[in-house]
Amino acid sequence: MLTYIIRRTLYMIPLLLVVSLISFSLIKLMPGDYLTTARMNPQITEETLNQQIARYGLDRPFIVQYWFWLKNVVQGDFGTSFDTRMPVFKTLFFGSRLMWTVIIATTTLVLTWIIAIPIGIYSATHQYKPSDHVVTFFGFLGLSIPNFFFALVLLWLLVVIFRVGDYGLGVGGLLDTRYFDAPMSLAKIGNYLWHLWPIWVVIGTGGMAGLIRLMRGNLLDTLTLPYVQTARSKGLKERVVIYKHAVRNAINPLVTVLGLSLPGLVGGSVITAIVLNIPTVGRAYFAALQRQDEPVIMGGLLFFSLFLLIGNVIADFLLAWVDPRIRYD
Amino acid sequence: MKKALILAGLLLVSSLAVFGQGYDAQPADALVFPIGVAGTPYENAELGTQGGTLYEASIEDPRGWNNHTAHETSTTQYTNLMHRGLLNLDHISGAVVVDFAKGYDISEDGLVLTFYLREGIMWSDGTPITADDVLFTYNDVILNEDVDCNARDGQILPDGTFPILEKVDDYTVTFTLSTIYRPILNSLTFNLMPKHKLAQFVHKLNPDVPAGTFNETWTLDTPLSELVGNGPYVVTGYEVNVSVTMERNPYYYGYDNAGTQLPYYDKFVSLIVSNQDVSMLKFRNGEIDVYALRPEDIPILLPEGPAKGYTVDITDKATYGTTWIMINQDVGLPDGTNEEKRELYRNVEFREALAHLLDKDTMVQNVLNGLGTAQWSPISVPSPFYGGRDFYGGPITEADAVWFEYDPALAASKLDALGVVDADGDGWRDLPSGDPLTIEINANDNTVRIAYCLIIQDDFREAGLNTNFQVVDFNTLVGQLFSSTGDIIQLGLTGGDEPNSGKNVYRSCGALHAYRFSACEDPDEVDLRIDELLNLGANTFNLDDAFAYYKEYQQLLAHQLGYVYLCQQTFNYARYDKVGNAHLASPTSTPGGNNGLLTELCFDKS
Repeated sequence: MLTYIIRRTLYMIPLLLVVSLISFSLIKLMPGDYLTTARMNPQITEETLNQQIARYGLDRPFIVQYWFWLKNVVQGDFGTSFDTRMPVFKTLFFGSRLMWTVIIATTTLVLTWIIAIPIGIYSATHQYKPSDHVVTFFGFLGLSIPNFFFALVLLWLLVVIFRVGDYGLGVGGLLDTRYFDAPMSLAKIGNYLWHLWPIWVVIGTGGMAGLIRLMRGNLLDTLTLPYVQTARSKGLKERVVIYKHAVRNAINPLVTVLGLSLPGLVGGSVITAIVLNIPTVGRAYFAALQRQDEPVIMGGLLFFSLFLLIGNVIADFLLAWVDPRIRYD
Repeated sequence: MKKALILAGLLLVSSLAVFGQGYDAQPADALVFPIGVAGTPYENAELGTQGGTLYEASIEDPRGWNNHTAHETSTTQYTNLMHRGLLNLDHISGAVVVDFAKGYDISEDGLVLTFYLREGIMWSDGTPITADDVLFTYNDVILNEDVDCNARDGQILPDGTFPILEKVDDYTVTFTLSTIYRPILNSLTFNLMPKHKLAQFVHKLNPDVPAGTFNETWTLDTPLSELVGNGPYVVTGYEVNVSVTMERNPYYYGYDNAGTQLPYYDKFVSLIVSNQDVSMLKFRNGEIDVYALRPEDIPILLPEGPAKGYTVDITDKATYGTTWIMINQDVGLPDGTNEEKRELYRNVEFREALAHLLDKDTMVQNVLNGLGTAQWSPISVPSPFYGGRDFYGGPITEADAVWFEYDPALAASKLDALGVVDADGDGWRDLPSGDPLTIEINANDNTVRIAYCLIIQDDFREAGLNTNFQVVDFNTLVGQLFSSTGDIIQLGLTGGDEPNSGKNVYRSCGALHAYRFSACEDPDEVDLRIDELLNLGANTFNLDDAFAYYKEYQQLLAHQLGYVYLCQQTFNYARYDKVGNAHLASPTSTPGGNNGLLTELCFDKS
């Protein structure tokens, strides 16, 4: 196992190199650059623009720019954001962004799994019954409503229909303004929860349908296998057959999904975070993309690629752990 | 118990000492706003009282706290409240007025400007502000090539030199110009920076720090207690993607005429709300007090306002900026093709025909819900130099405006006269030689702009012009503009009060003279006159003379139809009635204020 992990880690290096080269080329292929907006500003002269182009190193040939970037990265210097003039990772993780990203991502993930897995099991064991159709329908409804739209509708319902403002409650963001400077208290925690539940609902419903379908499909496949029949025929209770034998085997492919969702934890749900005013790393990265803030785009990309690769390794590892048949040696 | 009481008392006294900072009495040199005084811009303002918190929303996070290296309003909307300059643009009239300078003289020859600074005024940390701070800001920050500062461009005199700033004494400075250049007054509104805090980061003054250090100074991760200003507010809190909190500067020198120090609100909180629909919901929910609204919000907010205690102001004041289509007179020039089309585009008669096909009224009605005004001039309507006024700064009468009325019949006859007729019977007009003529219109992905272009495409096609409208990426569009590879491009530009701030666009060699870059080598009579008028308008301190030059400049440009203007949204505002003086919000207050609001005069009425 250890040699396997070392081998996988070494594979990452050329992979990240290729990823960085391709993404650097893609950034350069995009029309315009960080200074395009400045070019349209009537009050900025050409001399000033040229100075800025030189300052950001945008006047050098592509391959030279990439070489300098790579050289600095190898030395641990990911550069300074054009936009905030802070180091790249400080820009991405500034303030409480990383903390909130992790809190929101993990809570949503746990909630989604806790709800989706039982529903998937229920759905499979009640295949084609009306109750199966009902849960599947709601699952698909959650999947098919765009998250940003669902978020807007939710806020609209709260403000216009339920008139939460009359009770002194705000929508979006992390807290109501009156708690901004307040010391931590039960009421403040309650207010955080009031602002977090729409996120759980919006992102949760979006991710749940896929998991439900996956769990349902896997379990249905497993339930037809001979060993399940054997288990039944030797007189085991249906509950034991399902939970002890079928579900355990049906859950294997989902472990891979769990590992692969790691980068999404940090980078995902950008649009929902924008609509609901939540500070997340994904938003900082999205802003950098919009403004063509090259050092941040590159740094962020490496970071997310690394996460994806680590997620892969973790998934492999978990799989070996839950399924004794799998060996990597 | 006694000990505890004494301790508590001491704590109270010490905490009072922290919050009790500020002037003992109104400084002799305070800047006094004549609230409610008839004949002044403030005659409709009300006297207020100190206290309370004002909440508003802004669309983006600040990118730093350094006013002079900031390149965007998402940052300067805060730094403009934290810093003030010698001069300012009046929030209401847009005229150049004194701010940190209590007065200024212009020498007889117009070449020496002497500024008298307010004495006894402190930075927000209690350090006195003197001429040294002015010299530091101007010579070591703005004019310092090592500093990435856009404000430097506004300081360039017509001969390429910069004004020379000298200190006469601690409270008097002079700017010496090589030539008379009135727009320099607009540029001398630059915000002052505290030398005692920032000199250590300027490479020129402190060789121990590497070149460029100042550009990475006062970034978002700087402890907020390090930020020092002379404006009405200082930043005291920032939660990324959530909010910016500013608190009153105890040493701000602005007072009302009843002796109350400004600003009235103790705190000013800007919630960062990146989605405009959510901003509106937050306003309706009572979370923010003021909201600069979009035309589409009005049918929702107008009926709801009275019950919820807010007012929706619908004004006919146009906002700054211009929206236009550009007919590329250099079309095909970069690759030597389309010669006949280029010749046609260069013919002003053809451009007039197209101008007569622009249905600006429909654009205002259908796209802006009626909340817009048609444009004809390169100068923004709020500018005192806008040519539609009947004299300098006077009321807008549009008597001198140059309109090309929507008139398809006239357009058709002009096209016929040019020989642009349907030669091959395919239903589309062709070039005079008989070759097919196709017009490409490009705009970026913006609902308002797309709607304008669809209206234009319809009218062009109706007139027999084979027109294709296509949405392209903004950066691609800008690329087309600068390389003269576009055909007709629809875009907009920001605008200001001083016409010379647009010289980069309209001078024949301007970097944004995109409708005909070739005018730089090959200017015609009109181009030369426009260059001359820009210089004449700048070369006098007499505002009436300047206005006359600028009026001719605007009319010439309108007739030249380089950029052909469309329409601009008017300024509309929604505000809770508990916010005093919010009715003074106007597009003019944006340069110094916030979101259109005259922040330092707003007060809590509840």
